[in-house]
Amino acid sequence: MASGAGSKIAVYSLSDLKNTTDDALPNYLNSLKFKQSHYLSDVRLALGYSAVAIAGGTFYFDYTLGFEKTKGYTLWAVILYFILNSVFTYWIWAVERGTVYVGEWRGTQVKLQSHVKKHTPVYDLAVQYKPPKASSKAGSEWKRVETSAPFNTWFSADGAFVAKRFQQWLATEIPVIGQADPASAGKASNESSSVDVQLNALRATELAGLDAAAHGDKSKKSNKKGRSPR
Amino acid sequence: MLSAISGMQPRQLAAQVLNFALVLSTAFMLWKGLSVATDSPSPIVVVLSGSMEPAFQRGDLLFLWNRARNTQIGEVVVYNVRGKDIPIVHRVVRKFGGGIKPLRLLTKGDNNLADDTELYARGQDYLDRAADVIGSVKGYIPFVGYVTILISEHPWLKTVIFGLMGAVVVLQRE
Repeated sequence: MASGAGSKIAVYSLSDLKNTTDDALPNYLNSLKFKQSHYLSDVRLALGYSAVAIAGGTFYFDYTLGFEKTKGYTLWAVILYFILNSVFTYWIWAVERGTVYVGEWRGTQVKLQSHVKKHTPVYDLAVQYKPPKASSKAGSEWKRVETSAPFNTWFSADGAFVAKRFQQWLATEIPVIGQADPASAGKASNESSSVDVQLNALRATELAGLDAAAHGDKSKKSNKKGRSPR
Repeated sequence: MLSAISGMQPRQLAAQVLNFALVLSTAFMLWKGLSVATDSPSPIVVVLSGSMEPAFQRGDLLFLWNRARNTQIGEVVVYNVRGKDIPIVHRVVRKFGGGIKPLRLLTKGDNNLADDTELYARGQDYLDRAADVIGSVKGYIPFVGYVTILISEHPWLKTVIFGLMGAVVVLQRE
């Protein structure tokens, strides 16, 4: 599931679509030599596990010493636990806000947040990036790009994740990624008209590869074959 | 299903385990919070016997309060028999002492013929309010506690429920 490749998902499950896509993002960016920062999730894990540790300690002392001896401490443990738990929730809802990737590429800092509206199979991606100071004269400021695409841009009809299509979409839509992976960015703009043909071909040939799409007549034939059972 | 776990990044796995741990610890800390607020080691109990019928039936869920220490005759209290850890829900029928002297109580089940002296530990013929009683009943919900009676009568159910809960929390991802 984490690799995004190989396994197929249920295409009508929005959370499957989103999770597979979210998991594929760091893999792709890290392969482009982006340096991922785990600061957000590390803080979240630290908050959560400290709360759990407090509850564990409370359980242990309550179990071994009994209620009467420990109730003075239990009161403070309960208060501290729920403070930590609230900060944990705040961190997820207000700080992380669906962040799937934080990292840096050649001095450009990037932060990607993904979101899916209920019952809408469209992947919304908000990208914030800050170029290094030297390169931009207007000073180094955070820029924000919002983009979205339907999941069937990179999922085939039978639920296979087509990493190449996803990477092309990212590289075309997001300038930093486009710089880091010019090959994908260029490819997408050249072949954008043939997306449907390519995907249909992919379905029919069971992901034999994008090469099959190069032959137009072949893809049309297999397209019919692929659709007939439905 | 297990491949979903083995394919995870360490942080993702840690996050899934944390989800499960947070569910358990939040339930436990809510319970402890209620304990501290009511000053009772067990602020919610389930009626296990029919000895208080028709006031309470088997399976009723009782809410206790243990901060009012001057218990009056007619109050329904929950106490633990010394040496045994089974809570008993019975009504106070007599009281001795109180004020400077320690408060002592005699209890009886509404549906029982005799008072509780037979139930108390050997050599004990009254309850010590401070040491034995864990609270007096302030409210109840009928029947919802019946699940715990089922669980205590069929202990394997506990294992099954706990296992299912764990599996759902670890494997589910929304």
